[in-house]
Amino acid sequence: MNSTTSIPGISKRFYPLKIFAVILILCSLALFPFISDNRFYISLITEMMIYGLLAMSLDVLLGYTGLLSFMHNTYMGICAYAVGLFLIHISPTSLWLACFAGVVFTSLVALPVGWVQVRTGGLAFALLTLAFGMMFYTIVWKWYAVTGGDDGLMGMPNPDITLFGWHLGSSSDPVNIYLFTLTVVTICFFLTRRIINSPFGAVLEAIRENEDRASFVGINVRRYKLLGWMLACILASIAGALFILYKGYIGPSTMSAFAGAGVLMMVLLGGMGSLWGAFAGAFIFIYIQDYISTMTEHWEIFLGLFVIFLVLFLPTGFAGLGDYFKRFRKA
Amino acid sequence: MGELLCTENVCCHFGGVMATDNVCFRVNQNGLTSIIGPNGAGKTTFINIVTGKINASAGKIIFKEKDITNKSPHELVKMGICRTFQINSLFQNLSVFENLRIARQAMHGGSLRLFSSKQSLKAVTQDTWAMLEKLGLKEMAARPAKNLAYGDQRVLEVAIAMAGDPKILFLDEPTAGMSPAETLHISKMIKELAKDICVVLVEHDMDMVMSISDRITVLQNGGIISEGTPEEIRNNQQVREAYLGKEE
Repeated sequence: MNSTTSIPGISKRFYPLKIFAVILILCSLALFPFISDNRFYISLITEMMIYGLLAMSLDVLLGYTGLLSFMHNTYMGICAYAVGLFLIHISPTSLWLACFAGVVFTSLVALPVGWVQVRTGGLAFALLTLAFGMMFYTIVWKWYAVTGGDDGLMGMPNPDITLFGWHLGSSSDPVNIYLFTLTVVTICFFLTRRIINSPFGAVLEAIRENEDRASFVGINVRRYKLLGWMLACILASIAGALFILYKGYIGPSTMSAFAGAGVLMMVLLGGMGSLWGAFAGAFIFIYIQDYISTMTEHWEIFLGLFVIFLVLFLPTGFAGLGDYFKRFRKA
Repeated sequence: MGELLCTENVCCHFGGVMATDNVCFRVNQNGLTSIIGPNGAGKTTFINIVTGKINASAGKIIFKEKDITNKSPHELVKMGICRTFQINSLFQNLSVFENLRIARQAMHGGSLRLFSSKQSLKAVTQDTWAMLEKLGLKEMAARPAKNLAYGDQRVLEVAIAMAGDPKILFLDEPTAGMSPAETLHISKMIKELAKDICVVLVEHDMDMVMSISDRITVLQNGGIISEGTPEEIRNNQQVREAYLGKEE
């Protein structure tokens, strides 16, 4: 868990090395498609970034608010379907409008669900997420006329990506989607980081640490849990909008409990309570999944083993590696 | 001065057990009232009811002439009813500074600011430093609460409650498990507090209760058996029986 809080006058949080590393990573990601024209890796990294965003949104819930959601991918899926249906049935060219509609629709679904969810805590909360997730999964799976059932949503148009009338290219080109995803995910990352370090973020952390005490210092716990939930669902829905633009397809398997467990593993791999850790977790998870699946079709078994080892020997996740080395050097 | 808080026939039962039985309790604007009683007398249950942790089965609680029965804790804190817990209830992984800062922030407002930094709430930061300075916790500001010595955690527990600018402060055994020196430190702190606000103390340490209380209320089996000054309580036959048993 992220236990260090910056204190004015005591610890200054300014690490030039960190800033340099962030710029380096962002620049290399931005330049990657221009250096390499390996379409496979461009697609893979796009997927990593999208799942990174999803994992980060789950981390807002799990690592910062202390609420476990088994099926956070549900809200990514709902938005992906909403964006897809909007593009297919309403307007095949309005990309931004579709994304906006998708996020609004997902929020409208997530709000009443969250209202029920925050009335519980701990295990009950986690089980409720599973129940709601299963419910939405079944709706998507069985409602053939609208969602295409287990065939998934097909016939997605490829709208052009424009910004204030400035034409940036077609979404059918993986490079365009890559850059679009990188931009959106980067913005989301820094916005979330800002929110986590805000007074609002401090309230979420207090709830994670001690819900009971939080209410006894005057925090309306349910209200802030609901706000945290909505923040996480909105971020997940942005990931969903990116997902359907990238894949051009969405099927119910993306919303399954199995996929939900995958997102949870990404967060655990990366380390709870670290935003960049969630991205690291998603990158590792998807890379291993991809790497092992080229060798055996039973990749889940090996991935599972790998996760078990990591959880046993690196319980703080990838983000805890830094502290681990620091202690190692001191010893 | 009128009374700050009074309860009218407050009852609470768990199944068939009457944990709080028709308690009528009143306190004034300031001063220190202690609640004592043998184990299982219902002292903590009574505090839990008044501070909104559990609901009363019957009766009324009036605070500043407003009915506050069964309101939720965060509403009560905003009105000025704060408490500490018998077992430390801190934000364990957060720094001492942040423990107090969040309590201050909850009181001060601004928790809905999404895009400004925590430091932007300048008044909150200043108040927090002032409190840390006053309580002698300044040196430990950066340490996670869980790494403090038990005595310091106990002080922090009281400090968090004080950060809410209480009008009435309920302290549930603040000196439990503390050394005599630490107990002295805390009892001085409480005495100081009681000059300005109303402090209600639940305590087992009789020496401390007798020496610092203005009034004492004795509970037994959920009901009040006696009320009065320390001197009156010391000489009360019924209280002696409750603690020591009947003389044959």
